[in-house]
Amino acid sequence: MFSERERERYKRQMMLFGDEGQERLKKAHIFIAGAGGLGSPVSIYLAVAGIGTLTVVDRDVVDQSNLNRQILHYDRDIGRKKTESAEEKLCAINPDIRIRVIDTTIEEKNAGDLVGKADGIVDAMDNYPTRYLLNDVSIRKKIPLFHGAICGFYGQATTIIPGQTACLACIFPKAPPKEVFPVVGVTPGLIGMVQATEVLKYLLKRGELLTNRLFIWDGIQAHADEICMERNPRCTACGSFCETPGDI
Amino acid sequence: MMKVKVRFFARFRELLGADVIVEVGERTTLPDLIKQVTQKNVEGHNAIFDEHGHFREYVILMRNAKRIDIADAAMNIVADGDDVAVFPPVAGG
Repeated sequence: MFSERERERYKRQMMLFGDEGQERLKKAHIFIAGAGGLGSPVSIYLAVAGIGTLTVVDRDVVDQSNLNRQILHYDRDIGRKKTESAEEKLCAINPDIRIRVIDTTIEEKNAGDLVGKADGIVDAMDNYPTRYLLNDVSIRKKIPLFHGAICGFYGQATTIIPGQTACLACIFPKAPPKEVFPVVGVTPGLIGMVQATEVLKYLLKRGELLTNRLFIWDGIQAHADEICMERNPRCTACGSFCETPGDI
Repeated sequence: MMKVKVRFFARFRELLGADVIVEVGERTTLPDLIKQVTQKNVEGHNAIFDEHGHFREYVILMRNAKRIDIADAAMNIVADGDDVAVFPPVAGG
């Protein structure tokens, strides 16, 4: 059921997917790993779309050098916990949804508990070791993982349905070396929108998901490519995954 | 001679350009092909190959939209009209 205020707020998108679709979004819980370059646009757009519960996890404080891309955080937030800053903005953007923030580092020992019973995991991280942890949780708990990553004007995204599609480790078995990556805010803005669109489509059960396909964006050339992927039977993360009937 | 298309992405594209059409001889393997394309570009070559001339472990290779494990790359002989994509995982967020 929706309040008058909610009906008015979501009126234009309910033209697309009706009460039933909006209800699906309202009942959903999405876990967003990171409140940085990707986490900012993803959380803002999922909040305005009316996802009922958003959990945002981050361990950092806002730094001046974040502000060219991390649009959840303002100049006045420098030195403040990103989770605090994110909570304030997201609650102000949409007071009709529930925002949960957790100020912690995602590690092997806590990753499963942090994700809990979320309906989807958004990968808005900046490193592969944590991405692999999220991938493992996704496989173990059979929760979809919406991957995105960026560097400079380049970005990539894919959607992973555990047991059915290539997982992150099928696509990227080895992490690249850690580096301070150059970035301009428009790139995580664009890739974050691909991820958020995928989350909405998954929840609404609409359209074709970006599964078994790696979307690659080259902003300099204004060119998008798509590379087909498939499960690796020898994958160290999902190779032994056996889907039983009715699992997903 | 055969013509093969090599496409680079992300950092590799910055160093080596987007698409390259290469003429190669018979029995050219995937590593031979990429070495031929990168031979005049030290930075580009070093981004893809380690000091022993092996693919760096995180390099992703696709041949005609099919993933090629870098451990199996040397067993892949390229054919006329092949489309080969080479890219690194992008990591930032």
